[in-house]
Amino acid sequence: MDPFSAEGELLNIHSAFHSGQYQNVLDFETSVLSPENQLPAQVLKLRAQIALGQYDEALAEPSIEEDSPDLSAVKALALQSSGKTDAALQLAQELAENYPDNNTVQVLGATVLQAQGLSEEALAVLAKHQGNLEAVSLIVQIQLQQNRTDLALKEVQAAKRWAQDSLLVNIAESWVGLRVGGEKYQSAFYVYEELASAPSTSAPLSIVGQAVAEIHLGRLPEAEAAITAALEKYPTDVELIANSIVLNVLAGKPSEELEARLQQVQPAHSLLADIQEKSEFFDASAAKFSAKASS
Amino acid sequence: MGTLIDRFEEHDGPVRGVDFHPTQPLFVSGGDDYKIKVWNYQTRRCLFTLNGHLDYVRTVFFHPELPWILSASDDQTIRIWNWQNRSLICTMTGHNHYVMCAQFHPTEDLIASASLDQSVRIWDISGLRKKHSAPTSISFEDQMARANQNQADMFGNTDAVVKFVLEGHDRGVNWVSFHPTLPLLVSAGDDRLVKLWRMSETKAWEVDTCRGHFQNASAALFHPHQDLILSVGEDKSIRAWDLNKRTSVQSFKRDLDRFWVIAAHPEMNLFAAGHDTGVMVFKLERERPASAIHQNQLFYITKEKHVKMYDFAKNVESPPMLSLRKLGSPWVPPRTLSYNPAERAILVTTPADNGTYELIHLPRDATGAVEPTDVKRGQATSAVFVARNRFAVFNPSSQVVDIKDLSNSTTKSIKPPAGTTDIYFGGTGCLLFITPTHVALFDIQQKKQLAELAVSGVKYVVWSNDGLYCALLSKHNVTIVTKTLEQVSTLHETIRIKSATWDDAGVLLYSTLNHVKYSLLNGDNGIIRTLDQTVYLVRVKGRSVYALDRNAQPRVLEIDPTEYRFKLALVKRNYDEMLQIIKTSSLVGQSIISYLQKKGYPEIALQFVQDPQTRFDLALECGNLEVANEMARQLDRPNFWTRLGTEALAHGNHQTVEMTYQKQRNFDKLSFLYLATGDQEKLSRMAKIAEHRGDFTSRFQNAIYRGDVEDRIQMFKEVDLYPLAYLTAKSHGLTEEAESILEACGLTEDQIGLPTLEQPLQVPNPIVPTFKSNWPVKAAGHSSFEKALLGEVGADEDIDVDGYDEQMDDEEEATLARETLDDDDEEPSGWDMGDDVTVEEDVDFVNVESAEAGAASSEADLWARNSPLAADHVAAGSFDTAMQLLNRQVGAVQFAPLKSRFLEIYKASKTYLPASAGLPPLVNYVRRTVDETDSRKMLPIIPRDLETVATVDLQEGYGAMRSNKLEDGVATFKRILHTLLVNTVSSEADVDQAKKLIATAREYILAMSIELERRTLSTDSPENLKRSLELSAYFTIPKLEVAHRQLALMAAMKLAFANKNYGSALSFANRMLANGGSAKLLEQAKKIKAQCERNPQDQIDIDFDPFAEFDICAASFTPIYNGSPSVSDPFTGAKYHPQYKGSVDRISEVTEIGAPASGLRLFVPSQF
Repeated sequence: MDPFSAEGELLNIHSAFHSGQYQNVLDFETSVLSPENQLPAQVLKLRAQIALGQYDEALAEPSIEEDSPDLSAVKALALQSSGKTDAALQLAQELAENYPDNNTVQVLGATVLQAQGLSEEALAVLAKHQGNLEAVSLIVQIQLQQNRTDLALKEVQAAKRWAQDSLLVNIAESWVGLRVGGEKYQSAFYVYEELASAPSTSAPLSIVGQAVAEIHLGRLPEAEAAITAALEKYPTDVELIANSIVLNVLAGKPSEELEARLQQVQPAHSLLADIQEKSEFFDASAAKFSAKASS
Repeated sequence: MGTLIDRFEEHDGPVRGVDFHPTQPLFVSGGDDYKIKVWNYQTRRCLFTLNGHLDYVRTVFFHPELPWILSASDDQTIRIWNWQNRSLICTMTGHNHYVMCAQFHPTEDLIASASLDQSVRIWDISGLRKKHSAPTSISFEDQMARANQNQADMFGNTDAVVKFVLEGHDRGVNWVSFHPTLPLLVSAGDDRLVKLWRMSETKAWEVDTCRGHFQNASAALFHPHQDLILSVGEDKSIRAWDLNKRTSVQSFKRDLDRFWVIAAHPEMNLFAAGHDTGVMVFKLERERPASAIHQNQLFYITKEKHVKMYDFAKNVESPPMLSLRKLGSPWVPPRTLSYNPAERAILVTTPADNGTYELIHLPRDATGAVEPTDVKRGQATSAVFVARNRFAVFNPSSQVVDIKDLSNSTTKSIKPPAGTTDIYFGGTGCLLFITPTHVALFDIQQKKQLAELAVSGVKYVVWSNDGLYCALLSKHNVTIVTKTLEQVSTLHETIRIKSATWDDAGVLLYSTLNHVKYSLLNGDNGIIRTLDQTVYLVRVKGRSVYALDRNAQPRVLEIDPTEYRFKLALVKRNYDEMLQIIKTSSLVGQSIISYLQKKGYPEIALQFVQDPQTRFDLALECGNLEVANEMARQLDRPNFWTRLGTEALAHGNHQTVEMTYQKQRNFDKLSFLYLATGDQEKLSRMAKIAEHRGDFTSRFQNAIYRGDVEDRIQMFKEVDLYPLAYLTAKSHGLTEEAESILEACGLTEDQIGLPTLEQPLQVPNPIVPTFKSNWPVKAAGHSSFEKALLGEVGADEDIDVDGYDEQMDDEEEATLARETLDDDDEEPSGWDMGDDVTVEEDVDFVNVESAEAGAASSEADLWARNSPLAADHVAAGSFDTAMQLLNRQVGAVQFAPLKSRFLEIYKASKTYLPASAGLPPLVNYVRRTVDETDSRKMLPIIPRDLETVATVDLQEGYGAMRSNKLEDGVATFKRILHTLLVNTVSSEADVDQAKKLIATAREYILAMSIELERRTLSTDSPENLKRSLELSAYFTIPKLEVAHRQLALMAAMKLAFANKNYGSALSFANRMLANGGSAKLLEQAKKIKAQCERNPQDQIDIDFDPFAEFDICAASFTPIYNGSPSVSDPFTGAKYHPQYKGSVDRISEVTEIGAPASGLRLFVPSQF
């Protein structure tokens, strides 16, 4: 039986992880689980720790050095997150070669590869999956990052046929929906709203999703209400800050303070990097023009 | 409901028939004692008894209009009585067995009777009516006609004659009733049959028989407004029959009691059936229309089983959207409705067939009562949507809750707590299980119970609009709980609670049978209004309550929400709102005062009270001495002064205390008060008063307080207490005085017998002159509410927005301060001819090369391809092409000032959606074409649209002008120009508006720049003075708003006048007067005009011709007269002397003066 299915005992920890409630994952009582579920639970806990930015602590866990492909894959991810990208890449490639059928290796290995920009390699690793929903959602994300909305849509629709109920598929469908737009914006909004309002799944992840959907729907006041409330609760959540900047600019409000805050929390965020790059691009482009006469 | 009001025990033996009078407070009864009694149920007394029947009286009925009573008896007669003159007016004979029932026709002069002789008879009583109607002149013909009526019975009686005899029952007939409107009758007999009869003017015949009772049928009647027959029988059953098909529709069976009689309520949808041990009151169907609310829409099912939608925002009812005619059985209305906005689907349940549900998709548009297609159905008593694509159904027989997806297949099954009777939506992903004693909250995903609360008999659940609170309604209780099922408050009603709805502020409005009431979260409740008929509340909006009535018609009830809003504001301590309510509404009355007092807000209650005594009490309670003082003066009774004094003393407000003591003539206390506050002067006055009053004790006291020895001695002497006088004098060292006392009284020192002398009394010296003012005073108990009241008063003064006037007078200083224009001078950028920009002349599109292979191009790239507008290219991040476009369109060459605008647009173009942990967020592109999915038409959103610029930024610019913040103003208007330069609009009309805005911004920037330039000049040299005068004159040229032009004219006029340029000043004054406007400005203009007219000459000749048409060169600030050569800027249209051609526009700072340009594009028609 699939341990993550509706009847499985890992369901709650699994959905907590994927709805972004990482602290809940860490607090999860795993000692009551049956022996065969101990390992997946531990993997999830370590991943939650990494997601919370505690990769050094994760690397310091004794279990991560165990000789298990699952835990080694977690180690690769931890290495990647802590900036040791070369070691991470080597480990990931090694694991992908030796254990191509291991679910954790597929997902985490592909994550490491994708994070280093090796999208095609990542997709190749993931292509070997057998009914692994996490792999599906990762494939969708990579394809969206490649702007292949068409392929992502196919992937989601295929997955929906055998796992319509899954949280992961629902979320992945919303990712695609936010790309496709039109009526799909509203559907994506409903998914995130549902996640954000249910106590068992409410987290910055889902609130950001809800707010992003509202921005795309052009409902700025609602988006602002959601984000402002969430920012009070999670003042250092990077994506909350980033989207709050977008929202403030859209509403014609100053965003400098938020940008400074983002700079402080995550200087490498793509928004800041992007703006910096564009700012230089602007100067370079502007330099090509000048007036015929000096004034 | 269902409470016994009174018992009427005068009949001897069983009572078989009773009837209420339709209008009077009367009822009639007949029994086995052969008597008919008429009662008044208000005085609860029997008015009189009608004797005459010779056997049991079976039924008695009032006539609907005439003062008649109809009785049927075992003595085989039917009698009509007049209850006004209490006489028997007609006896109808003909039946030859017990007459079991006799009834008047509701409108015609007919009587129907049923007898154990197996017949039903119809009697015509029009003769009786004629005979007893008010005496009118009867024509001869009428008399003849009456005399010749040949249908007289065997006694020659023409009052009541048998019209028809209906035979068909094989046994005795127990009951007969008329149809309220149709010519139909229904009868019930011992042959266990219910028979339906029809009659015409001339005949009557049997229509059909309803078979089903398996014992004697006792009574039958027609449903007052539906096509149904109801019958009861000795088989212990109540049965409903379809009038048209004569088939059984519904039946109800009691275990032990045989039914004997049935009656219908004249107005309400209620029936009563009498059986062996009592009476059962029942309705045939639920009257509560099934409904569901989503945002501003109410979906409901009408009596015709049509699904309709009502829009609260527009107050309109949609045409029917669907017909649910086939749902359940025809006589059973649907029970509940649940709506899913994401799928636009409804779930309807009906109790028919042991409970079924149907899942139906609503049509996109309401086009009429169409039959639904693609209906999913199943067995359940409750069905609710729990998520976007899931619903829960509950089957009480199997005690299982199934979670189903929209294809109606079960995805999950839950075992609810034992005894669950109903399920409700419990917040996202949750369900509420209702058992007779508990409510449980259950998380569907985690499959666990989150909370449980002991509340018994919950029937309905109403969620607040924000989903934080929920009201659990049972028959007589409302329990308010949080979304986690923690009880917040509960309240009890003796009248049945029918429905509830939340207003947006978190007040619960609920309806009982006959009231609309409210409850705050803390349980405070009260009545809002009464109801003339029961309604089911669905929504509150402002002063309107929306409800569905029992005919499933939406109704809007007006309410006055003041009381509960006030209480809510009080609970939330929202003083501003309370203040608002107090000021704008007439919220008075004892109840609100006692409420406030009870809740500990006497200071607020004070605002509502007029009665001085209550005001005094409240003022004391909240320590408001001023009000208390005022009220005490009005009342002026010792009792109030005492209380005020005590309170004031506690506050340390001794001046009030002093006043109260004075009022009470409480001299001793007053003296002590002066002593305590150190008021020597008043103490001595007290001493005088005491002397005057001849009150020695008081005088002595005062003397002690003041340390006045002489006075004491004097006093002792006056009362002949010489030894004491001596002693006093002696002890204070007044030996001479002591001697004289001895002398005067003729005593010696020995005789007095002095005790040992101690130190004389020291009078305490005040350290602080406390008496001068109230100090120290207990911190005044001003609540924040009172502060709000006071603050409100203080803020009433007008705030002078117009800072310009004062500023004008300070003109000299302003000039001296040498404010400089910081952005007028730019670095020359070299004579770059722009050769490296190669642009094809006529093509507005700029092609963007596709992104790298493998991955497709992003949506941002599409934007640039889809649009020829610079703003869209900016949003796409394609700054270089955007610049090329701007260069071509408006000759933009210097982009630095646009940088923030570029980055602003770019920043707003995409959102960051966190996806898988460990990977960067997914980037999505924000569109202004929200509904578009065709990638060739997608376009980015551009922040700060035209409307924002026109409403926000422009006003800010005007504000800067008004308040003389010219540097800010220049910056604001430049920002407007930059924002408009890189923007999009949605129509040609908007393009025109944008162009107007650009022109306005240009004029203001020019005007402000001229004035700023003038302020940098010192006026000490004649050249500078001349230039200054010129600039001030030019300042009046740009086309500003009239109010602003007046300011410019004012400044120019004053400066010209001050420098004796009376001619110019006169022309400015004339222009001002022509413009009109503020009286204050015009007054000044008039004065100056009058002075200048005496000598309209300019002392300093300036380059300004008030009568010529000219533009101002935006670079040199000199006039360009009509006809002289000039160049203009392609973007702003600002004019320059020809020598400035090719340099950067001073107004926008972006574009090149005189550059070739195709014109700014903000709008592409095909995009919309």
